[in-house]
Parts: sequence; C-alpha cells; structure tokens
Amino acid sequence: MKSKKANRTIGKVIIYVMLILLALIMLVPFVWMISASLKFNKDVFVIPFEWIPKAPRWQNYIDIWTKIPLAKFTLNTAKLTLIVTCLQLLTSSFAAYAFAKLEFKGRDLLFLAYVATIAVPWQVYMVPQFMFMRGLGLADTHLAIIILQAFSAFGVFLMRQFYEGIPDSLCEAARIDGMTEYGIYAKIMIPLSKPALSTLIIFTFVNTWNDFLGPLIYLTTESKKTLQIGLKMFISQYSAEYGLIMAASVLSLIPVFIVFISLQKYFVAGITTGAVKG
Amino acid sequence: MAAELTAMEKNMKRRARRRNLVAYSFIAPNFIGFAIFTLGPIVLALLMSFAEWDGSNAMKFVGLQNFVNIFKDDRFIASLKNTIVYSIFTVPITLAMALGLAILLNQKIKGRDFFRTVAFFPYVASLVAVAAVWNMLFTPAKGGIVNQILMNVFHAAPLKWAASSSTVMLTIIMFSVWKNMGYYMVIYLAGLQGISEDLYEAAALDGASSMQKFIHITIPQLRPTTFFVTIMLTINCFKVYDIVYMLAGGSNGVVNKSAMVLVFYIYEEAFRNWKLGQASASALVLFAIVLVVTIIQFRGEKNYAND
Amino acid sequence: MKKRILSSILAMAMVVASITACGSAAEQAPAEAPAAEAPAAEAPAAEPAAEPAADTAASDEPVNLKWALWDVSSTVYYQPLIDAYTAAHPNVSIEMVDLGSTDYSTVLGTQLSGSGSDFDVVTIKDVPGYVSLVNKGVLEPLNDRIAADGVDLSLYNGVTDQVTIDGNLYELPFRSDIWVLFYNKDIFDKAGVDYPTNDMTWEEYDKLARSVTDTTPGAEIYGSHYHTWRSTIQLDGILDGKHTIVDGDYEFTKPYYEMVLNQQKDGVCMDYATLKTQGLHYSAAFAQGNVATMNMGSWFIATLIQKIKDGEYTDCTNWGIVKYPHAEGVEPGSTLSTITALAVPTSAPNKDAAWDFVKFVSGAEGAEVMASTGNIPAMTNDKIVDLIASMDGFPTDDASKEALVTSHTYLEMPANDKSSEIETVLNEQHDLIMNEETSVDDAIAAMNEGVQAVLAQ
Repeated sequence: MKSKKANRTIGKVIIYVMLILLALIMLVPFVWMISASLKFNKDVFVIPFEWIPKAPRWQNYIDIWTKIPLAKFTLNTAKLTLIVTCLQLLTSSFAAYAFAKLEFKGRDLLFLAYVATIAVPWQVYMVPQFMFMRGLGLADTHLAIIILQAFSAFGVFLMRQFYEGIPDSLCEAARIDGMTEYGIYAKIMIPLSKPALSTLIIFTFVNTWNDFLGPLIYLTTESKKTLQIGLKMFISQYSAEYGLIMAASVLSLIPVFIVFISLQKYFVAGITTGAVKG
Repeated sequence: MAAELTAMEKNMKRRARRRNLVAYSFIAPNFIGFAIFTLGPIVLALLMSFAEWDGSNAMKFVGLQNFVNIFKDDRFIASLKNTIVYSIFTVPITLAMALGLAILLNQKIKGRDFFRTVAFFPYVASLVAVAAVWNMLFTPAKGGIVNQILMNVFHAAPLKWAASSSTVMLTIIMFSVWKNMGYYMVIYLAGLQGISEDLYEAAALDGASSMQKFIHITIPQLRPTTFFVTIMLTINCFKVYDIVYMLAGGSNGVVNKSAMVLVFYIYEEAFRNWKLGQASASALVLFAIVLVVTIIQFRGEKNYAND
Repeated sequence: MKKRILSSILAMAMVVASITACGSAAEQAPAEAPAAEAPAAEAPAAEPAAEPAADTAASDEPVNLKWALWDVSSTVYYQPLIDAYTAAHPNVSIEMVDLGSTDYSTVLGTQLSGSGSDFDVVTIKDVPGYVSLVNKGVLEPLNDRIAADGVDLSLYNGVTDQVTIDGNLYELPFRSDIWVLFYNKDIFDKAGVDYPTNDMTWEEYDKLARSVTDTTPGAEIYGSHYHTWRSTIQLDGILDGKHTIVDGDYEFTKPYYEMVLNQQKDGVCMDYATLKTQGLHYSAAFAQGNVATMNMGSWFIATLIQKIKDGEYTDCTNWGIVKYPHAEGVEPGSTLSTITALAVPTSAPNKDAAWDFVKFVSGAEGAEVMASTGNIPAMTNDKIVDLIASMDGFPTDDASKEALVTSHTYLEMPANDKSSEIETVLNEQHDLIMNEETSVDDAIAAMNEGVQAVLAQ
C-alpha cells in the first residue's frame, strides 16, 4: 500500500517535471517576442540575445497605435471574425450531422469531395476565384471574405468526426420516440458536442483572425482593411523593424488567448452519454 | 402478393426519398456556399492543369503537356520527394506527441489550463518569432546552444542545421512537430471528452490496468478523432510552405532543392512565372496523393465501423 | 447529385470564361469607347486618340486616377508627387491604393488578371514583375505616346533600353537606385588606414578590407560585409560591360566568388550560413559598428540618415560612400542599378489622363520632387546630384558626393522573357556556393546548364 502511494508520488513528480520542461520550451518564443518588442530593431537579431533589454523601448507599443488606424482595422476584423465563426459553426455542424448520422445517396462521395478539397492549395485557385468574385461585383467587399471563410470543408469534417464518436443508439432511441432529425440535432447532438464546437470556434477564430492573403487581395479600400493586413503592411513598411513588428504581434495575440482560455471550461471530461442511454 | 410488394417497394422508395431530402436539407446551407465559391474554382483550377494560362491571355488547351513539363523539372521532382519525406516523418511523430500531450493534460492536475494554453502557444505565436528562437538554438555557428551540447556532451561534430542540405529537412521536421503538436492536442482533447466515463468505470470493475484501458478503450474510442487528425496532418504536411520559407529561406528567401516543397514550387510557378497551368498540374499531383491516402483511411474507418 | 455538381461547375466555367474573354463590361467606366477595349484594335487607335486626349486631360472635366503602390505611409515621395501634379491639373484627383510591399507582385498580378481591374496607374516594383505583366498583355505599350509627346528617353541614361521588350516600352522609370560602397570612417581612423576611394580595383578593395580586419574573438572587425543576396557578389562580374546575367555563361563570376569565399574563410566578412539563418538585416549589421565596408544600394542612404538622426544608430554615425570597385581597365563609376517605374494597364478607365500623370512623375518635374525628398530619380543630372548631396545628414566629404555620379549603370536584372526562371537557377547555385556545399566550378557548370535549359524552352 505504502509503495503504491510512493509510486504515485514519483509518477506525479515526473509528470510535473515533464510539464514544466515542456512549458519552458513552448514559452521561449513568447518571451522572445516580448523581449524583441521592447528593443530597437538593430538589436533584435544580435547574438548573444539579450533576454531582458537593458533599456526597454515602450515607445514601440505607442508607435504602432499611431502609425496605423489600429482601431478601425480591429473593428473590421472583429466583425468579420464574428460573422464567419457564427456562420461556420451553424452550417458545418448542421451538414456534419447528415454526414455522420443519416444515410443518403451519394454520401460517401460527397464527403470525400469535401475532404479532398482541403488538400488543394489556395494558391492554385486563388486567381479564378478572385475573377469569379469580381465578376459578381464582390471585389473589395467584406461579403467576399465572409463567403470565402464561412463555408469551409474543414468545419464539416471536424464536426462529422465528433458526431461519429457519439453512439448511433442515442439517435435511434430518439427516432423511436418520434423525434425528428432536426430535433435530434438540436436536442441531443448540439449539447453533446460542446467540446467539438469549442474546438471549431477556436480554430475558426484563429484562422479568420490571422487570415492575411485573402483580405489583402480582396480588400483595397483603406477603411475596409483588416488588422492582419494592417500589421503586415506595417511590417513591410518598416520592413526590418522587428521591434515594432513584435509589439504588434504581441498585441494581436491577446484576443486569441482570451478566446482560447474562455473556451477551456468546455474541455472538461465527465459528459456521460450513458446517462442519456440508461 | 405482387401488388403488396410493389406497394411496399413504393413505400420504401418514398421513405428513402424523404430521408434523402432531409439529409440534403441538412447539407444544403453549407454545400451551396461551398460548391459555388470553393468547389467550383477548385475544379476549374484542376481543369486548368490541362491548359496553358497566365491569368490574362486566352486559355490554351495543351493536353498533358504541363504534366510532362513538371515531371521533367528537377525542381518539381525534388519538391515532391522532400514533401513526401517530410510527411512520412512529421505525421506519425506529431500524432504521437499530440496524443501523449492530450492524455497528459486531460488528467486532473494543477495548472492544467495553464499548461494547455502553453502547449497551444507555438501554433498561434508569430511564425517570425518562433522561427527566430529556433534559429537561435539551432544556429549553424559553433557557439549555438544545440551545437554546444552536441560538442560537449556528445563529443560530436557541430552541425549546420538549416544551412546544410543534409540536415535541413531534419531541422524542418523537428520544428514542425514542435510548432504544431499543440494544435492537434486540442483536437484530441476534445475527442477525449467524448469518451463515456462509464466505459472506464466498467473496465476498472473488471480490474483492467491503465495500460489496458488505454489500449482497449481510449484508442478505439478516439478512432474518429484519429482519422481526422491523420487526414488533416497529412494534408497540412503536403501543403507545408511558410515553415520551409522561414527556416530554409532565411534572410534572402532562397530555398534550394534540398528543402524545396510542393507548395513552394506551386507558388513560384503561379506567381513568379505566372504559369498557372503548370501550378495546377502540380496541385493535381498533390491532390491525387492526398486523395489516395484519404480513401485508404476512409476504408479503414468504414471497416472498423462495420465490425 | 453528380449532375448537380457537374452543372454548377459548367455554370462557373462559363462565368469565368466570359470574364476572361471579353471583360465584364459592367465594371468598365461606361464612358470608355468600346473599341478601345479590344487589344487588337488598340495599337492603331492609340495615335489618333492621343491628341484629343490631351485636350480632355487639360479640360476641367474631373478625373479620378487610381494608383496602385505600396507602403504609403512610410514612402516620403508619393504625396509630394501627387500635390505637385494636382497643383497643375486641378481637375485631377489621385487615389492611392496600397497593396503592401511583401506580396506586391502577387497581388497586382491577381488584380490585373482578366480585364476587370480599375487601376489607372500601377507602380512596377522590379523587372521580373514587369516582364510577367508584359507577357500577360495587361500593360499598355507606350511607344506611340512617347513619340507623340516627344519624351526624350536619352535622359534616362540608357535604362529604358534595358527594359524595352520586342521594341516596345511598357513602363517609364521614375526612381533609380545605384549601388555604392558604404564605409565606416571610425574603423579606418582607428586602424590608421586610408579611406576607400572612388577609384579602386577589386584587388585593391580586397586588400583594403583585409587591412582593417580584426579576428580577435569578441572584438571582431569585419573588413567587408555581403548581404545574402545574389547581387552582392555575383553581379560584380557584369560591371565590366562584357557580360550580362542572362547570357547563359557564368564563368565570369568565378573571381568574385573566390574573393568572397576567401574573405569568409579568413574571417574578413561574416559567414553566409549564419547570416542567412540568423536573419540579420544588412542595416543592423552595419549599425553594429564593426563592419568597415559594405556594398549596398543607394536606398540605404536615406535610412542611415534617418536612423542616425533618430538616435537609433550610434555606432556608425561617421560614414561615407564611394563608388563601386571596378575591374582592371574599366572606368570607375560602373555600377548596378534598380529602377521603380510606372505603367498604365490596358484595362485603365482613364488611359490618357493616366499617361499624362506617368509622364509628369517620370519627367523633369517629378525628378525634382523625388530629389527633394532624398531619393534618386531615374532622370538624373548634376542639379539632382547637388540636391541630394546637400541634404542634411549626407556625408560632407567630396568623395561621397562624387560617388553618386555614374559612368555606366547595369540593371540588376535586364528585361528578359525568362528573368524569373533564370533568377531561380542563379539563386540556388549562389546559395550552394556560399554555404560551401559545392565548388565554384561545379556551381558555375550547373548555372550554365540550368540557364541554357531555361533559355532553350
């Protein structure tokens, strides 16, 4: 009994040592970013790297606010991200239900088509897609960005896989009880897939928030531009100004972290599907 | 008898049609947008691989000429080879690391939320920063930390890492695993939440060890998630681009044959040389490989589900 | 389902085809004569159209020009150029569209694909980008307009000849940067060595760089610095005027590679592999104050002046420039140059007004505006050199001013159908040589073979 307890303590210690080591490795870039964001550009890439700048340059953080219309850009990005994430969540969880739990003609073929398109690099169809959108009069509109991002195959694929993990017997039971498919989707699947929905929110949010080349090609009017265009343009204008670039990058990371941390609570084990079954 | 049968058949057909309609109604909102704005251009782009087009002048049908051209281009061959090597190593290593991390961070330990966030960090952090840190550790100079360890602890010769043809892929693979495992960890974490506690409790009553529980419950239950992770990892590995550009391109952006990957080649053909047909042909090759991998995986999943 | 997919694909294909073939007429300015749209009808139509066009440009009818460019807020000359132009043409307004610098060529190429773009004037960043746009047929040929308006191309020091494609010119340069040798006077003073001069052969330069080098660990002084670009070494070979970078025989680059490789071995310059992976920018390298000389383009002058003024650069405040070193028996003042130019897309809604603006910016009036902001215009003369050298912060010695006067300039990449593909081959071998992965001879053989294969296509 005693040795078992000792073993468990040793195990715990090993786990924590591993975790802390891991955390260190993962955090180094973040520390680097912050450190670089407080430096003159000329000092950023100099070796040996100075982890704590002797004379921190807080000016970098002030400069980026004055050099680009950050507020306007952030607003645009927030708007796009919000709309895209909502649409993506709705349409893909809806479609995924059919792929996972319904039998219908052409299901596998259609599903394969969805998945395989993820494999095509955007660079290849960017030009025809742009010309098509421009033909529809959607060039230089936020609508174009929303359309491009909201109907991605990725979300459908992700959600389908999680639904696959939910036992079919649950749906069958509900069907026998006379519930419609829409009812099953809304009353059984959605509540059970909170971790998956959170995952999709995080990924969609990160992708839309960080998307760059899409908005860059589609949005040419200054007032419509997004934060990432702003940041990247800022980066290219001050092409080697890594101090400023890192200050901007650190700032743009904050919303991503807020979303990630606030969705953490849905990543908790203990959803007992058995309870519904029993 | 016959009349009854046809009535039943009719009934079944009607029900099948109804079922199809319901299913299509679920798919429609996503599919319509997807088909018009993504699938359409993609199919068009893939058809472009049989044409010569620079984005402006009239398209010219050239049959298989683009494919002949790319397979004669040693840059394409090199990039195909590198991409495959990269994927073969990166996919299983990342998968194993992500699963390990997810299981570790799914336990009730102190500071769990913090560790999860930290593990996710390299994925969202600015690539410039992540690559800069990496290059600092793995600098080709003798003074670099990793080279110091190599020389003093292992008494080995220092390596030139990203600056040498023989070690550049190794450097990129290690970097990629480190940067992306947090992302797939999140997916696994979500997958782990879907496993019913009852299964573990029942197994515990039967006196199963944690290893047995892992092999007989966790792994099979995570199968749909693993399918997703494998496919996405494979696709993302085949589409790798910016990591290579940051690590191997360095300050002048020159990536030579030892690190060239498919999308890099595609980008060059499309936007430097404006040979969109040739770029599409290369993409079609990439597409075909991923499709084969997906179908094999898909079959495996179906077979398992039918068991 | 299959049918549905198929029909939606067909519909899409038709839409795209129609865009490609004739351009969506709805997006064009309705005032445009439809005949001008068809590229075939363009050339003969251009000349008679030019005359009445000049009238419309001068008339009071309001015109709005859309100008594609990059880095609006950090480029000092866009607004002064626009102000100067609109002062003389009050009916014209000019809207700047910033496409960002890093992906400029990609974005511009995509925007100009098909014929639905509404840009009137586009800035051309580099020669490969220019060539690809010309190949795509989206730039307006300017020869007839140049002839009609009597633009004197000889004022561009022969640069326009180097970007003439099949006898036609599609852009007019307005900015031109030349390569010079920057040096840190403090290092030479400390070492008690004479400053570099405006008349040095490569051999003398090598000797000079070595004489100020110090390899003491922790206190290194680098006699020379080569940024990781191919141009810093490979292109030194074309300055004797006997070779070009696109002719498929690269034996002439050998002495320059050998010189730099030896310097690298002896610690005279920093190691390429480290420089490349570490990502050290040339400006940061020079700013550290341990680099004695560095070959770089004249765009660095404005940066240096600004950063020293801002107090960021403290270890290289005492700098100067001299002319590029030259090969034995070649007149000093031969150097590399890069140009930035303006062009008019074939789809431009207001071609005549756009041409008038291009002519102004690239011409004498535009040149003065450029010089007054510290940038070297493509059209240079003594007056322009005086303007730049009199700028606050420019080195006061005569040699530095004299260094701006060139005898021959060679474009880093001349206009060639295959320039981007050639560049790929050359970049790859440059990288292998400098990483010491292949011998210079093998790499030159590979360059010859690779470029000849590209040229034969």
